[in-house]
Amino acid sequence: MTTKTKHRINRILLWALIIVMAIWMLFPFYWALNSSFKTEGQLAMTPATFIPRAPVTGDISFTLKNYESVFSNQAFLRAIVNSTIVAVSVTVLALAVGAFAGFALGKLRYRGKNSTLYIILAMTMFPQIAVLSGLYTVITTLGIPAIPSLILTYLLFSLPFTAWVLTAFFRELPTEIFQSAQVDGASPFQTFYMIMLPLTAPALVTTGLLAFIGAWNEYLFALTFTSIQPDARTLPVIIANFPSQATRQIPFGEIMAAGIVSSIPLFLLVFIFQRRIVAGLTAGAVKG
Amino acid sequence: MANAKGQSSDLAKQEQRLAYWLLAPTFIILLAIAIYPLISVFGYSFTNATFASNKPTEFVGLDNYRNLLSMTIVQVPPLIDEATGQIQVDAETGEVQYESSVRALPREPVRFRVVTDFSLFGNKYVLGATDPAFIRAVWDTIVFGVSTVFLELVLGMMVALIVNANFKGRGFMRALILVPWVIPTAVSSQIWEYMFQPNRTGFFNTVLWYLGMGSGEIPFLSDPTWQLPAMIVIDVWKTTPFMALLLLAGLQLIPADIYEAADVDGAGPVRSFFQLTLPLLKGTIAVALVFRTLDALRVFDLFQIVLGQARYSMASFTYYELIQNRAMGYSSASSIMIFLVLSIFAIGYMRSLGVKSDDH
Repeated sequence: MTTKTKHRINRILLWALIIVMAIWMLFPFYWALNSSFKTEGQLAMTPATFIPRAPVTGDISFTLKNYESVFSNQAFLRAIVNSTIVAVSVTVLALAVGAFAGFALGKLRYRGKNSTLYIILAMTMFPQIAVLSGLYTVITTLGIPAIPSLILTYLLFSLPFTAWVLTAFFRELPTEIFQSAQVDGASPFQTFYMIMLPLTAPALVTTGLLAFIGAWNEYLFALTFTSIQPDARTLPVIIANFPSQATRQIPFGEIMAAGIVSSIPLFLLVFIFQRRIVAGLTAGAVKG
Repeated sequence: MANAKGQSSDLAKQEQRLAYWLLAPTFIILLAIAIYPLISVFGYSFTNATFASNKPTEFVGLDNYRNLLSMTIVQVPPLIDEATGQIQVDAETGEVQYESSVRALPREPVRFRVVTDFSLFGNKYVLGATDPAFIRAVWDTIVFGVSTVFLELVLGMMVALIVNANFKGRGFMRALILVPWVIPTAVSSQIWEYMFQPNRTGFFNTVLWYLGMGSGEIPFLSDPTWQLPAMIVIDVWKTTPFMALLLLAGLQLIPADIYEAADVDGAGPVRSFFQLTLPLLKGTIAVALVFRTLDALRVFDLFQIVLGQARYSMASFTYYELIQNRAMGYSSASSIMIFLVLSIFAIGYMRSLGVKSDDH
């Protein structure tokens, strides 16, 4: 076998693997999309069809009914608003507070640095279920409504992660910039605000995206804290416990449509910011 | 000289003060939403507190923990034929007949219930626990965690090697593998629940039926033998991309000239993977394994949405004890157990890898 044919066989094998991988990754999503275009009758067909088909004739037939009913569902529309408010607020808060901490941890010298680093790292692995009842008692005692309590609670996972990743980024910035600014008479806070922060803008985008995704997808606290306040429910809670009309079975067509609608913002983020997201995920985990 | 020194130590002090000010918001928030609630959960775990009620709370000492963790193994005695005084044997199969497992377990001072039966050296034993649901949840969560993390490592390695290769559209593929990871777990759980429907409206039953396997009515999510495998399949699909990304980051740190040297030496791709890539990735693999293990052991969304109360993970058990049974004291004790298990993992991880603090 010549090297050229060997090379060609390798290429074909690689592309075969790529195609298998892509199908494996995308198939469940395709199945959801397929089901979201089926009527209730089509969903009940056995065997299930791989594209929406009319029950008797077998012709291809799509329906937008599920999307129409999802977009006229008040609970779902409110959940979109709630999720947006929560995720955006968490992102802004986590970045603001986390950038301060990341700068101190990455660039400043102070006593007790090791233990603060350990605490932040330990917090990134905190099991959320462990504080569920304790936090619920705190927020009911203080009478905080569900949405602000969710925003505050989500800092439990987004803040340590943001601080940890930003620490790594700040640490890699050359200390000389910091020192020369100090020599020029800038206070440490001015150095942070006017020099370091603009330099870490890419890192802020990365950690912000991950904080947003984490808050958008969170389920446990959202489920618990909104149990007595249904109008504060976020998208994952609505989708997992889809408000069905009493006469019907589980409305899978609508659930699939709602699931696709609530995943689309995340797909857009992933395809626009792929590089930044990968950088953030790996920085958070590998740079321990 | 003295002056300059004084000035620099002033600067150091100023820097230190600034550091504390900058860290203060983070630590105040974490104190309020993590440390204080954790301490209060620890306190509740020694009481019989009821969730969201005004019922008076009493201190019960270690009762909750005793109830969660008490286990016993008892030998099940064979049935004795009253007439002959001989051990009863099934006339058809020739198998020894045993007393019922439940009756072999102690009832006083607390009642034990059956977790599982097993045979050893020709004797029959029963594992009993005061709360079989919790023991089963712990066991299921561990089985789930170990299997998913192992499968994700193997598949994630393949995916990482593929998207690390040179081909047109590599950036697009790297974005595409993020799709399962980024879909909200609530959504992916519902999608998979629909694919696992117990008749031919579900994808898996349809495909197996086309292939001539199965009746087309396999109850994947209600048959206990299929429940855990189904959960593992869903989680492997969802989390393999994350594993692949961590491994990809490690792969990119390996300098290319090592492979060129191996190529010259005539090592094939398989050999260079096992002799070069794998040893060089050891650190990355260790980190990825521990991160994923911790994550898998606290699984909640998937179990709660797909299986509900049919089968628990540690976290969904805790959730239902709190919300459904309102047993705040009891669920707090179970929270603390989860916290302890995960802390042991996390501390072991930080010890073995070491945290770098001052490498600038």
